[in-house]
Amino acid sequence: MTQPGEITLLLRDWNAGDPAVVEHLFELVYPQLRRIAGSLFRGERPENLLQPTSVVNELFLKLVRQRSLRFEDREHFYSLSARLMRRILVDQARSEGRQKRDGGTPVPLHADMAWIDARPAEMMDLDRVLEELEQLDPRKCRMVELRFFLGFTAEETAELLGASKATVDRELRFVRGWLYDRLHSS
Amino acid sequence: MRKDADNWQLLQELFHLAEATPEADRERVLAEKCPDEELRRRAMDIFNASGVEEAEVAPAPIPAQVQFPSGKIGPYTLIRHVGTGGIGAVYLVERLMGGALQRSALKVLAPHSVGPAFVERFHREQHILASLDHPNITRMLDAGLSENGQPYLVMEYVDGVHLDAYCDARKLGIAERLQLFLRVCDAVAYAHRNLIVHLDLKPSNILVTSDGTVKLLDFGTSKLIEPDSLLTTTVMATPAYASPEQLRNEPVTTSCDIYALGAVLFELLAGSRPGHGASVAVMIERAIREQEPDRLPDAVTGAAAGDRGLSENRLRQLLAGDLATIAQKCLNPRPRDRYPSIDSLITDIQRYLGGRPVLARPQTALYRFSKFIRRHRGAAAATLLAAMALLASLGYAGWRQQQALRQGQRALRMQTFMYRLFKLANSNYTGKPSATVPEFLALGVKILPEYIKDPSDLREAQMGLAESMYENGDLDGAQKVLTQTVASAKAAKDIRAEAESEAFSGNIAYLQGQMEAGEALTAHALELSRKSGIPPSVRAWSAIFYAWNRDNNGYHSDENLRLLHFAVKECRDNNLSPRETADALYTLGQDLELRGRLDEAEQAFNGALQVYGQDPLALCDQSEVYGDLAYVTEMRGNVQGSLPLYQRAYEGYAKCSGAESRGALTEQEFWAGALMKLGRAQEALPMMETAMPTWRKLMGSSPDLAEPLYFLSKAYVETGHFPEGEKAARELVAVQEGKVAPTDRRFGASHLIWARALAGQHRDQEALPHAEIADKLLSTGSISAGAKQMSAEAHQLLLDIQARLAQK
Repeated sequence: MTQPGEITLLLRDWNAGDPAVVEHLFELVYPQLRRIAGSLFRGERPENLLQPTSVVNELFLKLVRQRSLRFEDREHFYSLSARLMRRILVDQARSEGRQKRDGGTPVPLHADMAWIDARPAEMMDLDRVLEELEQLDPRKCRMVELRFFLGFTAEETAELLGASKATVDRELRFVRGWLYDRLHSS
Repeated sequence: MRKDADNWQLLQELFHLAEATPEADRERVLAEKCPDEELRRRAMDIFNASGVEEAEVAPAPIPAQVQFPSGKIGPYTLIRHVGTGGIGAVYLVERLMGGALQRSALKVLAPHSVGPAFVERFHREQHILASLDHPNITRMLDAGLSENGQPYLVMEYVDGVHLDAYCDARKLGIAERLQLFLRVCDAVAYAHRNLIVHLDLKPSNILVTSDGTVKLLDFGTSKLIEPDSLLTTTVMATPAYASPEQLRNEPVTTSCDIYALGAVLFELLAGSRPGHGASVAVMIERAIREQEPDRLPDAVTGAAAGDRGLSENRLRQLLAGDLATIAQKCLNPRPRDRYPSIDSLITDIQRYLGGRPVLARPQTALYRFSKFIRRHRGAAAATLLAAMALLASLGYAGWRQQQALRQGQRALRMQTFMYRLFKLANSNYTGKPSATVPEFLALGVKILPEYIKDPSDLREAQMGLAESMYENGDLDGAQKVLTQTVASAKAAKDIRAEAESEAFSGNIAYLQGQMEAGEALTAHALELSRKSGIPPSVRAWSAIFYAWNRDNNGYHSDENLRLLHFAVKECRDNNLSPRETADALYTLGQDLELRGRLDEAEQAFNGALQVYGQDPLALCDQSEVYGDLAYVTEMRGNVQGSLPLYQRAYEGYAKCSGAESRGALTEQEFWAGALMKLGRAQEALPMMETAMPTWRKLMGSSPDLAEPLYFLSKAYVETGHFPEGEKAARELVAVQEGKVAPTDRRFGASHLIWARALAGQHRDQEALPHAEIADKLLSTGSISAGAKQMSAEAHQLLLDIQARLAQK
């Protein structure tokens, strides 16, 4: 199904800021990843974080097979992967959370990955609030996605975005408070 | 929301201001900054929300299956939940057995996991565990189905702590940690012998009980190694310890466990994981890029050193040598470059603990023979201090020993041999308190067969000694030994040794002026080296010795150049020692220089310098390349630019082998030559005058004295000291007479100077025949840029003299 170079082309479009890219890529990788994402919501995430990150793995492997992962792609590749990760989890949450909303418990934004213990309804709330953040401050939104959806460390996030770790930490402290406040007030 | 958008920047400023201000002052400080109360409140809301994150995070959901209504599973009474493993929860349970309460660990499949695939995996674990019986692997005691149909496993309960925590709590040193690690290796090796790979080795899967017994847990992800089981696994391993191929979802083998053991060892020794602190995504990226692991000593922290009862520096030092090599060998991104088995890893650790060199040494083959091929410099100076050469031999012996070590048991024999050799050399065996280097080497050749019985080891050792003899300037002695080696290798059909000894022997033959023998030997070695099973370094050197010698003796075929490029590639592709790679590059550069392809030559020399630069002990080699680089620079017309390079070459040599060494003297004379070209003969003359007595001491009346005499006479002529120039030129021709072919271009150069010295004294009539010889000899066979310049100069001089004579 995946044409050679397709992901490369998608990456290029993403560079140009085309939001349809995420949708397209989502369709491409979704079948393999659906199962993985699904297990996250069943608490089947034991001590390792590797399964969730299989999204990244899958993408990497596809890119490497095409021998097209260059260094200058790296930032876009990871940003796109993080966005994709978010997209997949939200989709999963939507289909699983249709039954009932239990609400009440805050979305845990702890240092590793936001969605680790998230319930479907929380995931959808988080997605909505991130949508607002994207409008306000796209850079911070990207930071959150990298840090909390892809599990990037603060150092890695800083390196990828060409900022210092102190700056990333500082911005994330603010954005965490802001997200948390938004989730509560809505 | 609308409001946030309007005040986004200000909100952030207020937020950070709140962060930076003590609570008591916060309201006041914020009010000073922003009069809008509503906005301040908004910022404070965000600020207050930012603090709650961790505290309010709901604890991980308690596994659903904890509610067993009866508090029992089968005959087992649940005591407490102890953890959640890969596929289910683990409980501490007890059961009445033969009147006594027996405690064990019970693992039950999580209800949500009950699907065909998981049940199958569960059964597999059951099979695997049941088949393993080893003191360092937790034993399986029972298996069954609970009342509500959930499968469970019962295992030996281990009351212990994780391997790393155990070591740190007791501040265990390196040796003690290695002993524990060896127990882990034993257990994994045992599993491998039973065709089982663990696939999730990590400190938390390795417990140590209070009496120090190591127990390996959780074969939950393990896999039976069967030919048809080379499927990609659903990755379940812990990323920090998972091999790159596991992270890449590739087939798993025992090598994955070797990698994981390397990661465990790394952490156990240095206190942090290889690639510590990287996210899983970046770990996968590294796995896909096959990135080399961090170096062990670089991962050391002060805290880790404290946990090992050592200072940070001391720990780093301890981890820098063989242990770094061992860890590196386990953590190689390519499975084929790791230890082939856990047994070989165990052997190396035991060797380390026993103070013996490890087998995993990086390949450091270092053919000092390469020095043969150095052009202007000739054989090693005979007057080198014996002690220095002895040190070189020792270093070489150590290297040979490492080489031999790679082939196993030879180590001990070589060691015994070297030990005996030094003992004998320093005892009354020679009747002197300490032997000179030639005596030492001759003694080595003599007693070698008594200590090394294995013919192939003997050949290795002979080649080693021959190399030392060469190093010491004893070409005949080296050739004699190599001739024996060639014959013995031929008879035994030991192609590897035959190729190696023939290549070196051929190179020596060339140096001895036996061109035909040299060509025959190197050509045969080259042919042999193309067969399979020949190590890359022999392949490379066979190519170099053949191609360079051919080119240096007048055959300039493209094939030769191709061979030299091939040798460089072999060195690089096979990660041969930096020095070998640099030597190959240097030879390539010299060949290009010879062909007048100066741009490419310069590139190759710069490449060689880059590699030599990594080796602080390669100062002499480096200086030599600087010399060539200077020469090429000079030939390309940048005489000014060549000066600092010559100076660097000279100073390097002066430092590494003394200002009176041949290397230093040679660089100095070329430096002087370049100065003369710039019209700075005034500076060149004192350099040559001071150097001359040393040259005479070094060379006697050898034709090699021609070189400095040439520069000296030229310096005299160019500073207008024509009578002195004439005298030096006369001596110059005298030392060449009968030793250099009458048609040799070098004669031409000598006569050119002579002619100039005479012409300078207005003795054109006497100068004419010399100018004629110079013009004739220098006009033929000139390839290099320098030769062309000289040819033009000679011709002009002849024309000038002829013109002046015609005027009279």
